[in-house]
Amino acid sequence: MVKFKNVVKAYENHVAVKNLNLEIPEGELVVLIGPSGCGKTTTLKMVNRLIEPTSGSIFIRDRNVKDLNPVALRREIGYVIQQIGLFPNMTIEQNIDVVPRLLGWPAEKRKRRVYELLEMVGMDPEIYAHRYPNELSGGQQQRIGVLRALAAEPPLILMDEPFGALDPIARESLQDELKNLHSRLNITTIFVTHDMDEALKLADRVVVMNQGEVVQVATPETLLRNPANDFVASFIGKNRLNGDSLQSVVEIMLPDPVTVHPQMGLAEGLALMKRKKVDTVLVVDEQRRLLGSVAVETLDREHKRARTIGEIMNQDPPLTTIRSQASAKEAFDLIIGEKLKYLPVLDENDVLVGLVTRNSMVSALASAVWGDVGE
Amino acid sequence: MLWRLRFGVMWVSDFIDFIRSNLDVAAVATYQHLYLSFGSVLLGMLIAVPLGIWLSDKERLAEKVLAVTGTIQTVPGLAFLGLFLPLLGLGVVPSMTVLFLYSLLPILTNTYTGIRGVNPAVVEAGIGMGMSPRQLLFMVKLPLAFPVIIAGIRIASVYIVSWATLAAFVGGGGLGDPILTGIMTADINFILMGAIPAALLALAAGWILGMVERLATPRGLRG
Ligand SMILES: Nc1ncnc2c1ncn2[C@@H]1O[C@H](COP(=O)(O)OP(=O)(O)OP(=O)(O)O)[C@@H](O)[C@H]1O
Ligand SMILES: [Mg+2]
Repeated sequence: MVKFKNVVKAYENHVAVKNLNLEIPEGELVVLIGPSGCGKTTTLKMVNRLIEPTSGSIFIRDRNVKDLNPVALRREIGYVIQQIGLFPNMTIEQNIDVVPRLLGWPAEKRKRRVYELLEMVGMDPEIYAHRYPNELSGGQQQRIGVLRALAAEPPLILMDEPFGALDPIARESLQDELKNLHSRLNITTIFVTHDMDEALKLADRVVVMNQGEVVQVATPETLLRNPANDFVASFIGKNRLNGDSLQSVVEIMLPDPVTVHPQMGLAEGLALMKRKKVDTVLVVDEQRRLLGSVAVETLDREHKRARTIGEIMNQDPPLTTIRSQASAKEAFDLIIGEKLKYLPVLDENDVLVGLVTRNSMVSALASAVWGDVGE
Repeated sequence: MLWRLRFGVMWVSDFIDFIRSNLDVAAVATYQHLYLSFGSVLLGMLIAVPLGIWLSDKERLAEKVLAVTGTIQTVPGLAFLGLFLPLLGLGVVPSMTVLFLYSLLPILTNTYTGIRGVNPAVVEAGIGMGMSPRQLLFMVKLPLAFPVIIAGIRIASVYIVSWATLAAFVGGGGLGDPILTGIMTADINFILMGAIPAALLALAAGWILGMVERLATPRGLRG
């Protein structure tokens, strides 16, 4: 999808990017990470030609960006900047609508798209479409920043530290949303951050940069296990993960996941999920043996047709699960390899003992790396 | 005390009689005054707003241009009129020329700084999303700079309305006429017949444009 070939950006007295070679396949979410000034923003902005490289070329789907009209090129690429940069003189609807309007979409289609996008992130269009950016919280504004980049269904999105200015809670939920959107829409994404947690959580592949050079390109897991050199290791953290600091899957799971019984009514189930702020629950019998799962959308969709959870729970294909004797590494491999959102942990009698989520994995990793953080 | 008050009341009623009998003079002077001042401000807008927009991405040149208009501002109005006398003669033309030159600075400065003051993040977002320079100007920069530009026009109008009294010195007419007559005949009634409407006009201009300024502020920028 995107290919950097011997890309150099030099300023009079400083080389911001030194001979960058990188290929990003279609649909991948790549995270660029590195210390301040290492050239992340420069790399990103050369893709949509806000910055022109000194030498080398960048290709998008085999077209050299140099040969494309920059204005037309930018309309094909979603762009989210750190400072959010919503247009304060426009309503939320008009903000999201900018690129479709520039592209001349018919009004009807544009409006439908705006409403669809707002609904996608759980913001009621009737309430928010006609508000102005200063009438929204920081987290909501950045959500709009992301929607605005998605509006014209671009095949590629660039995001420069989009969640950097947010408080940890808003940041976490936006990360989840982004991960969600990405797995649903499969838009190739280049995401810049200097937060290792964020990189590990979101990335299909992480590109570690230092002083204008790529130091390592790897999946989050490989990065943690085999950092290419001391720089990467120290960037990940001092007591970085070594082979035996995390052994059992039990150490990285949530011990008490939200569960329901099949006899439970739908309304009750929905209320429980709202209260616990989860979008999927596991269904277990009296012995806590795993029967299936239910997603909140299914509940929403089926609440007219069905009465109990048991009628609508998802049993096939069977959930991917893992045994409690398994190692943490096996859980990582499954979650990352199969792009799972969660992984139930069962004991030898099929009794549910816990749940590994991407979040629980990242916080377990983080505490292994930095010692106990938070919690 | 009482005598003073009696005198005051008598004087006011005299002044009202005076205005009544000179209403036609006052009306003509006011009309000319409006014409002079708003004509010059309008002309100033037509030149200074586009110029300010054009200069907004040319920092070096802008500094020079603003220095020149700033210098114009410091030349005393009467001296200016005198300077133009041999060139443009007497009447409305030299008056409006001078007033127009004075109106340039506040409008130009505010247009320039208004556009430059637009949050760079918003500008970058616009460019990054594929707005052409013209679309960026009309969709983002101008709406956001609009309140500042209107403020410049308001400042210019208030100044120009009071300075337009100087036009009388070169036969340009306006409310300066009765004032000049009053000075020469030592008649306070004439002076007031010019000065009061001139002050009221300046206040009104400030008030009306202040309203426009508030209305022109995009809702997303208020409060
Ligand atoms: N216009 C410029 N002229 C000279 N040097 C520049 C210019 N723009 C950027 N640089 C330098 O290039 C280097 C890379 O900048 P860049 O913005 O890409 O860093 P970054 O990795 O995004 O950092 P941060 O995490 O702080 O955003 C920095 O050292 C910066 O000072
Ligand atoms: Mg940066």
